[in-house]
Amino acid sequence: MIEQIQSVLTNWDAMLPVLPQLVVSGIAIGMLYALIALSMTILYRATTVVNFGHGDLVMLGAYALFILMPMVTFNIAVESSALGLLASFVPPFLVALILSLLVLFAMGYIIHRVFIWPILKGPHLSLALMAIAIGYAVRGVIRKEYGKEVLQMPRPFPEQEFELFNWGGFGTYMTLDEMIFCGVVIVMLLISYIVFSKTRFGRIVQAMFQTQRGSSLVGINVMHYNNLIWGVGCSLGALGGVMLGLALALDPDVGVWTLLRGFAAMTLGGFGSLYGAVIGGLIIGILEKVLGVFISTAFIEITCYLVIILVLLIRPKGLFGQHATLRI
Amino acid sequence: MALLTVTNATVQFGGLIAVNQVSFRAEPGKVRALIGPNGAGKTTLFKAIAGEEQLASGTIHFQDQAIHTLTPHEISARGIRRTFQTGGLFGELTALENVLAGLHTKIPSSFGGLLANTRSAKAVEKAATKKALKLLDLMGIAHVAEQWARDLSGGQKRMVEIVRALATDPPLLLLDEPAVGLAPPVRLELMNIIRRLVDEENIGVILIEHAIEFVMTVSDTIMVLNNGEVIAEGAPDEIRQNKNVLEAYLGR
Amino acid sequence: MLALALPLVLNQYLQYVVNLMLVYILVSVGFNIVVGNLGQLAFSNVAFFGIGAYASGILTTQLGMPWWLTVVPAGFCGALAGCAASIPALRGVRLFYLAIMTLAFGELMRWLYIRTPGLTGGSMGLTVPEPAVFGWMLTNEYQKFYVFLFIVVVVVIATSRLLESRIGRAFLAIKNDENAAAAMGIPTGQYFLLAFALSGFVVGIGGSMYAALVGHLSPEDFDLIQVILHFAIIMVGGLGSLIGSILGSILITATPEVIRHFEWLVGSEEWIFGVAIIVVILFLPRGLSSLLAKVNPIFKDRYYRD
Repeated sequence: MIEQIQSVLTNWDAMLPVLPQLVVSGIAIGMLYALIALSMTILYRATTVVNFGHGDLVMLGAYALFILMPMVTFNIAVESSALGLLASFVPPFLVALILSLLVLFAMGYIIHRVFIWPILKGPHLSLALMAIAIGYAVRGVIRKEYGKEVLQMPRPFPEQEFELFNWGGFGTYMTLDEMIFCGVVIVMLLISYIVFSKTRFGRIVQAMFQTQRGSSLVGINVMHYNNLIWGVGCSLGALGGVMLGLALALDPDVGVWTLLRGFAAMTLGGFGSLYGAVIGGLIIGILEKVLGVFISTAFIEITCYLVIILVLLIRPKGLFGQHATLRI
Repeated sequence: MALLTVTNATVQFGGLIAVNQVSFRAEPGKVRALIGPNGAGKTTLFKAIAGEEQLASGTIHFQDQAIHTLTPHEISARGIRRTFQTGGLFGELTALENVLAGLHTKIPSSFGGLLANTRSAKAVEKAATKKALKLLDLMGIAHVAEQWARDLSGGQKRMVEIVRALATDPPLLLLDEPAVGLAPPVRLELMNIIRRLVDEENIGVILIEHAIEFVMTVSDTIMVLNNGEVIAEGAPDEIRQNKNVLEAYLGR
Repeated sequence: MLALALPLVLNQYLQYVVNLMLVYILVSVGFNIVVGNLGQLAFSNVAFFGIGAYASGILTTQLGMPWWLTVVPAGFCGALAGCAASIPALRGVRLFYLAIMTLAFGELMRWLYIRTPGLTGGSMGLTVPEPAVFGWMLTNEYQKFYVFLFIVVVVVIATSRLLESRIGRAFLAIKNDENAAAAMGIPTGQYFLLAFALSGFVVGIGGSMYAALVGHLSPEDFDLIQVILHFAIIMVGGLGSLIGSILGSILITATPEVIRHFEWLVGSEEWIFGVAIIVVILFLPRGLSSLLAKVNPIFKDRYYRD
């Protein structure tokens, strides 16, 4: 590894033009990490539960789309001519996507209502284990039914590349996928921001983020809103999952892979900070790509592990978080 | 020699100054009470003495040794023990085990001895158990020794906490609202216990309490805190008539 | 004592399953030290298991050591890993931060198994020679059984002595209220390290037994399904309970064997264990040992509560 770093430093001029491409690609995947970290942070802020099963729910989102697609296309094809004409304007992918998000919303709602709420007053350990177990139950079912082979997500748009600019003979490209991902995440961030700060729902959620007990004392139905928040968090996660499925492939083990990157983003940004989750996700995306090329391909896999370990050892509260350690 | 010397202690949380330049000395064989409205900084001061919070400035010395830079377990090992405002009892442990946990530093069984179940390891544990039972008996709660701490009544819990804090004969005891939630007869008993400890064992006690009659009866010196600062200090009778204190409590 | 007679009634295959149960008894007893006694969520158990197994494997294949001599060193490798996994605890890292850290640690270990083929055989795996004890080769499951039983009994007794002592008390104190524990003079950070090191030692020994049992190690043996297996055992058995570890190991290890008989259930271990944990948390939080304790006081241990 030392030799690699040395060779990078000597070849700096030669490798520099690649940097913009890496940063751009890093931001693209970082956007996905950011979205997932955001969904995890929302759940954490609302219910102070760290959802260790979230990665698997994200994965479920992708599989839900995969499973619903054929059903949707079939149905639309069978519709009467008038409806069929209308339906042909709406790509089945979009319908399947919306259905998947609804399915995951329902799942999030039910999971909180049935499995989390009853044990909220108990030991933290039970809550964490419940989340883990739910994740495993989901993953187990998926693996059993669909895990035998690597599946491909249906693609709603073609694979295409666009050159953004050119530097020193190296072009910096962005694929259509990546642009759409960035676009979608930015739109979701804007929507989230507006919902949080401008709507009644958002204000209630903010109150609950501050204090659950205080909220219930002023008449907010905490359980109901927590159910909704879990639905929203899982839906957002599912959206990230669909995009991840497009970027990679469908794989039951994507769950833990996702969970770790989500955690890394949250840890770097500071647990509980919404901005931190987003910025953390982007930074990790960029680090993975840059370190992966400049130092060693190993970093594509282990960057998130190292980020977690190093941040917790050096500055546990991350960039924007609050006290994370005990004075012992 | 003063047992505890606090000099210009200041504790800050971001921009909020919770304890502002507080100074006092605690003497052995005396009860010093710390009173004041909610949020005045009393528990924060306790936490600073116990090492749970860091001082932004100032010093704390215990038996002439600086302790404000030490960690909580080092401080308690030196002889400062405390009870907690809420909780603090080990719910899943029995009353006896709670007290034994309090005796942790005085049970010198070695790792190897425990593994091999040597006679000395067993003897040391037995001696500790005997002492713990005796202490529980002194407080009149030996009959609940085998019950899980979280199943005990409020008064019993309080007693176990005090026994646990006293188990190692600490020179200084910090009591955080020990009378809260106790019925009047139990409070009376608690008062007698504290006075007995102080007069007979020469322990120093610093006490946070809201129950005024309790404080007036049991203390030698009263310190009044408001907004992190000491606004009055003196014998119970002086404090009772102090105008500043009345203002702080009633607001004006 | 009845256990000694088992080889007389079981065939080789069933004996193998019982041996596997013995391995998992150690795995769960070790895991319980951290999760049940110290009360911390940690994902490092499979890492300790794998490190112990590979340590035994590497020492036998590369250094030619006889298996029985590698058991204790495997334990020490596990203990070392335990220290490494819990160093953040010395700096005050707690709760889910610690959990996430151990998760990262575990995944890092798995990545290492694959990336160091020189040591571990990489994805091809490591074949371990037949285990030898004092010069005797253990060629069948019955011989392995007696050796494993001996190891398990010794380790479990030693562990129970530690847990009944002031050390175990300190763990429980930290679990209930760490601040109060520190106020008793207990150096909590160091005790975190101790709990993880002990856990690593016990699980590491389990790992070396596993190596002797299965004969071939590969990184897939220590994947995420192992993780849920470990959690399922201690949850179903009863957190913190030694008897629970034994019960849980027997039940959970038997499950894949039972599943094997039902065609439609093959490959379902993962979700079955997940559902089992969910059911246990909702309806029987103290695990099976608490249920059995109601029936017969023999099964009572410190975590029994009605």
